Amino acid sequence: MSVARPSKISRSVTHLALFLLAVVVLLPYTWLLVASLKSREDFFSGLFFPPGEGFLGISWDSLTLENYSNLFDTRFGRAAINSVFYASTSAIFATIICAATGYVLAKSKFRGRTFITLVVLGSLIVPPTLLIAPSYELLYNLGLLDSVWGLLLPTFGPAFGVFLFRQAVQQSVPDELIEAARIDGCSEFGIFIIIVLPLIRPMVGAFLLITFLGMWNNFISPQIVLQTASKQPLSVAISQLRGVYRTDYGLLMAATVVSIAPVAVLFLVLQKQFISGLTSGAVKG
Amino acid sequence: MMFRRLRENQIVFTWAALTPFIVLFLVFMLYPLIQSAFLAVNQTYGPETRLYVGPKNFRLLIQDPVFWIAIKNTLLYTLGSLFIQLPLAFVLALVLNSRRLRGRSIYRLIFFSPQLMGLVFVSILGALAFEKRAGFVNRSLAWITNNPSLLEIDWLQTYIMPTLILISLWLYVGFNMIYFLAALQNVDDSLLEAAEIDGAGPFNRLRHVVIPSVRPVATFVVLLSMIGSLQLFELPYILLDGNGGPNNDGLTIVMYLYQNGFELGDLGYASAVGWVLALMLIGLALVQIRMVRKEEAMR
Amino acid sequence: MKNATSLAILSLRHLSIGMWIMVVLFLISGMVLLSSNQRPSENLQMWVFSPEHQAMYAPMIENLQLNSERNDRDIDLSLLSIAAIKSKMMSGFFGGLPTADLIEVERATVGQIFMGPSEAIGFHDLTDRLHEEGLYDQINAPSLSPWSVGGRTYGLPHDVHPVMLAYRADLTEAAGIDLTQATTWDKFFELLRPMMDDNDSDGRPDHYPLSMWVTQLDNIELLMLQGGGQLFDKDGKPTLDTDQNAELLAEIVSWCAGANPVVTDINEFSAAGHQSRVDGDAIAYLCPDWMCSIWKMHVPGIAGKMKVMPLPAFTEGGRRTSVRGGTMLGIPKTTQAFEQSWETAVELYTSPEIARELYSMVDIISPIRSLWNDPVYAEPDPFFMDQKKGLMYIELAPQIPLRTSSPYNYNAVLEIRDASTNLLNWYNAQENADDAAMIEKTKDLLRRAQRSIERQMSRNAFTGIDP
Repeated sequence: MSVARPSKISRSVTHLALFLLAVVVLLPYTWLLVASLKSREDFFSGLFFPPGEGFLGISWDSLTLENYSNLFDTRFGRAAINSVFYASTSAIFATIICAATGYVLAKSKFRGRTFITLVVLGSLIVPPTLLIAPSYELLYNLGLLDSVWGLLLPTFGPAFGVFLFRQAVQQSVPDELIEAARIDGCSEFGIFIIIVLPLIRPMVGAFLLITFLGMWNNFISPQIVLQTASKQPLSVAISQLRGVYRTDYGLLMAATVVSIAPVAVLFLVLQKQFISGLTSGAVKG
Repeated sequence: MMFRRLRENQIVFTWAALTPFIVLFLVFMLYPLIQSAFLAVNQTYGPETRLYVGPKNFRLLIQDPVFWIAIKNTLLYTLGSLFIQLPLAFVLALVLNSRRLRGRSIYRLIFFSPQLMGLVFVSILGALAFEKRAGFVNRSLAWITNNPSLLEIDWLQTYIMPTLILISLWLYVGFNMIYFLAALQNVDDSLLEAAEIDGAGPFNRLRHVVIPSVRPVATFVVLLSMIGSLQLFELPYILLDGNGGPNNDGLTIVMYLYQNGFELGDLGYASAVGWVLALMLIGLALVQIRMVRKEEAMR
Repeated sequence: MKNATSLAILSLRHLSIGMWIMVVLFLISGMVLLSSNQRPSENLQMWVFSPEHQAMYAPMIENLQLNSERNDRDIDLSLLSIAAIKSKMMSGFFGGLPTADLIEVERATVGQIFMGPSEAIGFHDLTDRLHEEGLYDQINAPSLSPWSVGGRTYGLPHDVHPVMLAYRADLTEAAGIDLTQATTWDKFFELLRPMMDDNDSDGRPDHYPLSMWVTQLDNIELLMLQGGGQLFDKDGKPTLDTDQNAELLAEIVSWCAGANPVVTDINEFSAAGHQSRVDGDAIAYLCPDWMCSIWKMHVPGIAGKMKVMPLPAFTEGGRRTSVRGGTMLGIPKTTQAFEQSWETAVELYTSPEIARELYSMVDIISPIRSLWNDPVYAEPDPFFMDQKKGLMYIELAPQIPLRTSSPYNYNAVLEIRDASTNLLNWYNAQENADDAAMIEKTKDLLRRAQRSIERQMSRNAFTGIDP
């Protein structure tokens, strides 16, 4: 499995290198978190913390949650709930629709299957960027600008999701199992729910998280589609916060913390499935 | 009789499962795709005001040096992410793949974690971190080297491309590492052992056993990074407050598209930009597939 | 069918935990959103981007008399960032969506409104009303120019924003320098030369005469305007590459050039920049009226140490002020209540109380000339060593340069910034470039900038301007 059998020295060098790298990766977060707790007066006067010292040089009493309470005096709380709603709705619908389509394309025999599969695969090379302008026009014509559905509907049927689920079904659902269930009198819907979905559970978990993250972090679509302030998600709200409260670093920091914390928690819960699902499409494909 | 009913059920289920996707696909994928071809030969001011201009959009596009700057920047960023990020991700994966390494799952998690932050949030953080004098990066540099003149480095004005590449390195290296880690599962242990018995050193084992087994995934990762990098938008857009920065040093193709389509209202011109970008992407993907095929044929 | 239901229930246990989490999140957030679902408000909507304006207008709006015969509505005041106003306003105008009934628009944003055909301009043309009600003659004339196209005006001007030179009088006086004698920029730099000595031997001058840099596009534009530079002519055609512009730009960039520049780059809004101001890294600043309040808020350390004076001119007897920034109040065509919006706009923008408050809160002088006699402008300002700075700004107000409303002005200013950056880099890479060579290079760069703007404009078939 391992490429080289490391000697003791090389092993401690590796550890040191990894440790330093981990510190570099983690520093921005730590800075963010601590800075969000600093009051406006302290923000620049106090040493930000250089690695090694500094952290203890900060007077702990002056740390404050005031940035967070100020934050929720703005429209930020609403934006957070919007983000949760958009991301979870998009994740649920996209996962169900893509899983069903992927399963059918992998296992059902019907006329036009090859054609549909080819069209789906072909559409994977269309960059989303190409569709930004015409989609805006389409939403305008459909009267869906500034509507939650104008933002959500286009995210419900991503072609790459269909592709991923088709892969997953082909790899982990044996035909015999489906045939056996059919002979036992299980309905088609039942087969999908009882047999197929559990077998592709890692992909379900991964895809949920992928679409959730995708929507949570999406900036350009809500920026273009949504107009009313009370409909905006965190990503747009925070970029506008930067405009109004440009000098209020603490507030911005707190807003960033609030924007990434929920995703981090979700990831910690789902990380195993996520990583295995993420890679299964690529590795064996 | 029963089989026919079964078959009918199957067909009903099949189309019931397919319909939502097909409808969404037709409306939100195929229609805009076709529409973008029509838009590309019009000048618009928002969706209401429209004027047929023919292929003029493409001609103006080719003649606009700003567009070429955007292409140059975008390619620069793409190359930067490919040649710095991917090797580093691969090395990290190799190191973290060793079973004997203690704490490897924690390291994995740490290196992957920046990926969770969306580009918008990373951009906000980046804008604060790379600020001249007050930013976290310059203050760290000045503190480490004890050289206050480093506080003056104006990342966002003078070194915008390196800054973008650096931020994206932080953001994506762990993500790509995960792919390589998964690929390393495919490496056949017995092959490695055989090579070791034959007296192959670590470097040779890497070259002749590990790399060939990782190649399919590497191809996939390269393609994925390329597609992502070529569509870079949020990071420079927010870091540079919506314009391209001095000399448009930080302007990317998608920013150019956004400025023209949604700030100036010319959806037609924006569609033309979209088509050029799409052709670039497809071209690059084809070249890559070709190269892989050739290599396979040679082996 | 009942079979299917029980199967489905049974199978829920097999579902991924992720799906459960998502469903819970979906239900909770959906319920919160449903329960707080706000119907679109019937009230009159007003968007502002400045927290100070919000604070000022709120009590005023509360006291406005609502005309019930006309079905007047209450007014909702919302604070949005400039970027948010820009994107919401433009997507509203493009998409024909209702925006607000009154929108304050910042100068850098306004160009996009004039980018399409004139009938697609999203704001009402207010010219006739301004004339009818005699407002036109009351407003400081140059303050109308950024909001007018082809002689038609699309917004009420909020301000004049004349520029003075603000300087650390404590330092100059300690050094025995009388800066008010600096009637030209040459004399200004000459007078302050002694203060550039490096007495603390940290390798850089103790004090730079002026805070300015080629990357600060607002200040570059401000100085160009002061010197009579014009980026567009009356018809909106670009005129970037005139000889006058070249000579001006070459002079401005020369301040930054060489091993010993006489100006320094201090961030105008960041905390680090504010620290530099306290430390006295620069003696003088280009100070539009609104900048005073920013300093009062964020740089209390320089209170009582500053003074203002008219800008040194580029040539003896030349213009001693300039203009930077600006805001208008426009009424979108989608409004359902034009009359009420118009009255509110006039009330807010011509009211003596608001003008007074505008000055005492944020140091901004009103564009309405009849209000300039107000005693508030004659109050000594302790921040500026008890100078009557209001009167000083007002004296300069009629002299501010005319500005273009070209939708391409912002692009042109970006081009000028790039030209100056390139010029600076070119100059610093030369062994010793003389003035003539520098002006030649400037002309060359400006020609390039001109071509770039012409190219951008030629793409637009709507505005009817043929560059």
